[in-house]
Amino acid sequence: MLKDLEERIDCKLRKGLVLTGFSCLLVLCLYAPIVCLESKAAGAESPGKLLGDESDGSRAQPAHLIPLIAENEDGEQGGKVYPDDDPLLSFSMRWTCGDCHSYGIISKGWHFNATDPNVAPGRSGQPWILSDARTGTQIPLSYRQWPGTFRPEKLGLSSREFVKLFGRHSPGGGAGELETEDMDEIMREYVSGKLEINCLSCHNAEFAHDQGENFLQIARGNFRWASAATCEFASVSGSADDMPETYDPFMPEPPEDAKKVPPTIKYRESAFDHENKVYFNIVREVPNNRCYFCHSNLYLEAEDTEKWNVEEDIHLKAGLKCVDCHRNGIDHNIVRGYEGEESASTNHLAPALSCEGCHLGETDSFSPEAGRLGAPVPKHPGIPPAHFERMTCTACHSGPWPIEKTVLTKTSRAHRLGTIGVNKSHEALPHIISPVFSEHSGIGAAYIGRLLLLKAGKIAPHKMIWPAFWGIIKDKDITPINFDVVRQKVGQVLSNLSLPASGDWPALSDENVIQALKSLKGTVEGEPVYVSGGKVYSLDDSGKLWSEEHKAAKPYLWPIAHNVRPAAQSLGIRYCTDCHATDAPFFFGDVAVDSPAITGRGTKKMVEFQNVDPSYARAFAFSFVFRPMMKIVSLGSCAVIAVVLLLYALKALACVVKVLAGQD
Amino acid sequence: MFQKIFIIAFLVTLVYIVLHRIVVPSNKRLPGNSTNNRLSIIGMLRILVYLAVLFCFLVLAMTGFYPTLVLGKHISGYLVMVHATFAPVFAVCLAVLAVMWARRWRFTSGDWPWFERIVQRLTLSNKPGNDTTRKSSGIGQKLSFWLIIFLALPLILSIVLSMFPLFGTYWQEILLSMHRYTALVFAMVAIVHTYFIIRT
Repeated sequence: MLKDLEERIDCKLRKGLVLTGFSCLLVLCLYAPIVCLESKAAGAESPGKLLGDESDGSRAQPAHLIPLIAENEDGEQGGKVYPDDDPLLSFSMRWTCGDCHSYGIISKGWHFNATDPNVAPGRSGQPWILSDARTGTQIPLSYRQWPGTFRPEKLGLSSREFVKLFGRHSPGGGAGELETEDMDEIMREYVSGKLEINCLSCHNAEFAHDQGENFLQIARGNFRWASAATCEFASVSGSADDMPETYDPFMPEPPEDAKKVPPTIKYRESAFDHENKVYFNIVREVPNNRCYFCHSNLYLEAEDTEKWNVEEDIHLKAGLKCVDCHRNGIDHNIVRGYEGEESASTNHLAPALSCEGCHLGETDSFSPEAGRLGAPVPKHPGIPPAHFERMTCTACHSGPWPIEKTVLTKTSRAHRLGTIGVNKSHEALPHIISPVFSEHSGIGAAYIGRLLLLKAGKIAPHKMIWPAFWGIIKDKDITPINFDVVRQKVGQVLSNLSLPASGDWPALSDENVIQALKSLKGTVEGEPVYVSGGKVYSLDDSGKLWSEEHKAAKPYLWPIAHNVRPAAQSLGIRYCTDCHATDAPFFFGDVAVDSPAITGRGTKKMVEFQNVDPSYARAFAFSFVFRPMMKIVSLGSCAVIAVVLLLYALKALACVVKVLAGQD
Repeated sequence: MFQKIFIIAFLVTLVYIVLHRIVVPSNKRLPGNSTNNRLSIIGMLRILVYLAVLFCFLVLAMTGFYPTLVLGKHISGYLVMVHATFAPVFAVCLAVLAVMWARRWRFTSGDWPWFERIVQRLTLSNKPGNDTTRKSSGIGQKLSFWLIIFLALPLILSIVLSMFPLFGTYWQEILLSMHRYTALVFAMVAIVHTYFIIRT
């Protein structure tokens, strides 16, 4: 009986074990595909590092002779691209480069993470500027939480519309890869594709790389083809926007209208080798030319602004590349290079690659760190240390030399420099003015899930725009009105005004503004206002226009870091009166108040942006007239005192000598 | 750090003054310092210079020490302008003070006995010198006067030299510290000197 019992228990145990094992296997079988799918969806991001994520230490450039890989209709990895494919698909950066470089990690880098709300915004940077001359609009937009900018959706811009407007000067990713919930846009997104990160926009060393193609392809809605179009061995024709929403780029049907060309890619046959691999001239260190496409500036202080008239940054002339300072690893968390960046960035090199980091180094480090990359160690003779507490390095060393009045400035991203059909007129919108010497607005640092604004307060040169937009005021807060509504209503009211050929906005009289506000009154919920030139315009009860200052109308500023001038051209190199003079532009230069509204135009003094009492600044500057005299008087007095001391010291010495000689 | 040192120095000075007041009897006058003398123009000028120096010193001390000791930051704004305005006046007045009062405050034979004894001890001299009768010579006033004159040099030069493109940031900070601490010692000596003046 005991034996029976033992046998039964044994049997039950075995059955239990088998059942448990089977259950575990079942769970594994169900879970494994989910894990695989997720890792594929993350863009080949695997727990382990991919081949190209980590260097083996060799500084030689690896040869990128690789197959082209397209995406499939589900947006996942498709097959290899062969030159005789039909249909011939555009290769995908994500799947071509993503085979060896973790696309998921890269997509979290600074150039691509603007739409991630968890990323600390850091110091305010250049916004995207939506401008429209007809409606008198220029408004700074950003997905980052930079104070003074507006999120695109506040103006009714979807991510697709944002990309259409501004994707031209971006390396892709970010808003270009956001999922849309709008049904119309989902269909359109399938036709256009997503604007993936274009690795080639930075890492392609080939001279024939044409980043300007990005603008054309995005304008045509060819997001899926944009990256390939920029490279030297592919060309893209046609337009996805011309295709109906039912168009399938993976099984393309000729459109009914023969004049409309579907997006089509052609590869140079000689680009493919005998194994159907293509050579990419890829470099780790991005050439300066690539950075310049998005990061060029044009200061319109003279009529002739040709490049050969203007000096480049002194660091570049000294032989450095942009990426010698603006470094990152596979995470692409690039160093921006400003003081205090470590509070907002996880890049451990951030403090070391700022101005002070290279030129001065850490004073309490174990080994000498000053002068990295051959940076000269500045002595700053004769400059009181208070200057370094009150101003950034860029205040004296960067940007254009300040003159009596601020100048209009163009940037690549604001004025789409480097693309076809650019308006080269100085007055073309948006109106960016610089240099404006102002206190920093602070650094936005993430702190345990919250955004913490760190007070900066140092004076630095900035670029600036005066926001101009139509909005609604409610509880003293102003929010912009949907831009489509503004274009429709205000555009109609102001349609009789002629637009200058220069691309400037028309001069708006008070009557124009009143009419526009009245046209918006019944259309929007709330009190319509017009923000422009630092003021808010609204209608009073009697229908008259009145204006007041408002925080939403304050200018938006972002710091200038380049071009850095050589030391012999820094402020203060001649004498203190470079800044401390009653007519010195640093304090008393005129800052244009830019507005389409005629009554809103004017100037302000630079000192008003520096949190300094203007009368004190003037009195202090005036005191420098007497400074040489003061030095002479003080040194003269010291000479007299020294002579008196010497005289009586010698007399005392004579007495001592007498005492020692035994005389009275 | 500077705040702590200032407080300690001020307390030490105060204690010294109080002790001196208790220990040393007053109503001592310097020879030739009779109150019955009529003041000549030169005499009035000398007193005016003294008062001017005192006034400038007060302004400079307040404008210089207040932001550092009370506000905990560097001197700036209108305070630095006032400080810089009175500084050259103070320098000139000190120079005039040195010229006008150096003879008055020179060390005389009345100040010798202790020095003579020190020298004799050091040189092991057995020569019986004529014992000079110890007369009250205002040695405290004289010492404090000459210290003031001596300290004026580093006090003024440390800040004037920093205005020339000679010294880099490192030495600028040293010069600034030198000015600050010299000013501290100067202030203490000036307080002591003023005490002696009042006492006599």
